[in-house]
Amino acid sequence: MPTTSLRPLLVTGYSMLSALGNGRGAHLDALASGRTGLRPSTLPLAFETATGVVTAPLPELPRELHPWSTRIARMAAVLIAELEEPLRRARATWQPERIAILLGTSTAGAETTESAYRDFVANGAFAAEYDFMRQHTFGAVLHVVRELTGARGPAWMCSTACTSSGKPFASARRMMAAGMIDAALVGGLDTLCTMTLQGFQSLQALDRGPCRPFHKDRGGISIGEGGAFALVERRGDPRVLVEGVGETSDAYHISAPHPEGLGARAAMLEALQQAGCKPGDIDHVNAHGTGTRLNDIAEAKAISAVLGNQVPVVSTKAFTGHTLGAAAALEFAFSACAIEAGWIPAALAVEPIDPGIELRIPTQVTKGNFRRVISNSFAFGGNNVSVLVGAP
Amino acid sequence: MNDPLRVAVTGVGLWLPGFPSAPAWAARRRDDTATKPVGLAFDRTNRRRASGLGRAIADAAAEAMAMAGVDAGTVPTVVGSSIGEASTMIGLLEGMWRTRTPMSPAAFTVSVHNAASGLLSISQSNRGFTTSLAADHDTPAAALFEAIGLIAAGHRQVVVVCADEAAPSNLIKDAPQWDLLAAAVVVSAAGATPRLATLHLTSGAAATLDPAPIDRSLVHNPQIGLVDLVDAVLHRRIGTLALDRGLGRGYTAALEPGDAP
Repeated sequence: MPTTSLRPLLVTGYSMLSALGNGRGAHLDALASGRTGLRPSTLPLAFETATGVVTAPLPELPRELHPWSTRIARMAAVLIAELEEPLRRARATWQPERIAILLGTSTAGAETTESAYRDFVANGAFAAEYDFMRQHTFGAVLHVVRELTGARGPAWMCSTACTSSGKPFASARRMMAAGMIDAALVGGLDTLCTMTLQGFQSLQALDRGPCRPFHKDRGGISIGEGGAFALVERRGDPRVLVEGVGETSDAYHISAPHPEGLGARAAMLEALQQAGCKPGDIDHVNAHGTGTRLNDIAEAKAISAVLGNQVPVVSTKAFTGHTLGAAAALEFAFSACAIEAGWIPAALAVEPIDPGIELRIPTQVTKGNFRRVISNSFAFGGNNVSVLVGAP
Repeated sequence: MNDPLRVAVTGVGLWLPGFPSAPAWAARRRDDTATKPVGLAFDRTNRRRASGLGRAIADAAAEAMAMAGVDAGTVPTVVGSSIGEASTMIGLLEGMWRTRTPMSPAAFTVSVHNAASGLLSISQSNRGFTTSLAADHDTPAAALFEAIGLIAAGHRQVVVVCADEAAPSNLIKDAPQWDLLAAAVVVSAAGATPRLATLHLTSGAAATLDPAPIDRSLVHNPQIGLVDLVDAVLHRRIGTLALDRGLGRGYTAALEPGDAP
């Protein structure tokens, strides 16, 4: 167990994009009014399910980036545009080589490749404009982000399935502590893919309708797409802090959570320890809350064991769907919203709550002084991340 | 002053076609029967689940961990790969679009980029840190940056393993192809002993060391930079080594002698 104490990350700006819209305002409006972004899927699938599709405009990239133009790259551009002002200030403050790009995704350009591959099967050739290296790879998205932000520091994509966009917060914190960087663009994004939907269907993990996390009769996940980026800096005027990031493994099963949530418990405990917090200091949990039978029960046990059962717990996946590689970043942003706005949303479609889940799940918008929020994300491979977000 | 970018290398591992271990490569002892990695760090069940990429990662990691004497049940692991489980994805796409067969849940769960890091943690009962990164030809440098951050945060040792499977030839047009390889290093705090070398990660420095003399089928693999690092460490070379072969952003590793016999 590491012993070095790390300073909190100063989050000086953040952007968000999902089926609820583009930007913090659109997300707060949807949360306040209890409006889900989930709709019946219109993709050509042999089964029914609901998805959270980004419907906000995704403008074309600048001409010089056209060879890299994919849905995920255009989503990245939208998220960067929303951070224009803090990024401009950061570029004026820090050397470009000291600004890192540490993002996460599970899909990268898979949506583009699956469409190109369908054409390849039908026609025997890929479309002339399809370019695996510029449109599929993790590095392709990094290239676009680098060009649009001007950041020239270390850059990578973390890809640990559904924890992908939470771990970059921890990486940035460590790199800043080590003196390697002064600022970083962190977070992540994912796009909806037919392959992913079919994969989760093969695991019998998809709900036929909009997901109902923690509901007695929940039927599984609804997949969504979107992302969130955050600018973190060594100095500045923070909107929120990242005070701890617990990163653990279940070492149990490639796709099923540990039934007692042992890895999840350890992640939350590590985040608390890094933040120097007690369980009673946590005012709210943005749960992983996928809506699967196994996840919700295991996570509930873990939250109860670590934080007790009086802390209000909400899964915002009932609003956005499970955005997979983007989920941890998007739910970091929801946690930041709770701290900044002073309220948390009502859990959607949760009643009657599973009697086996002994958590306090609010069914009304709850106002309060939310000073510290834990956001949980768990992934294939037994990978767990708990991000502890605090008020400045 | 303590320099956080300076770390010790305390173990190395390799899996290359024909050279299934670091000593075999160091001695240039080719074994033409060594065409497939076996997945040494995986248990039997996960060895069966893993792709060739995963098994190469497991072989290189197992060798590096054994050399460094680390506890595989607790050590943090950083896995780097540019294209990850691309062949598994192509198999899923073939089923979706050509053969119209129901997707295999087992294949889907190991199509994620972090399949190998997950299988490693399960096989070794390691409930600690693991991650999986990608940065094209800068993946070796990115993985070392992440490892150095972990050391700065107080971890004593970190396993870094980088691998890419053979290029998916039908997807990559008009670009050089490459074959499967995996390389691993264990990095520790700079004062650790015995160490094979001390490494200082830099950017933009001129390389003074030649890359490893390696088969043409491997030179375009995005992870070749970590093979070059392992080769330099094995041959006790001192100087500055490029962590990519001209297709990355110019990160380098300055190598100083170690104290291991």
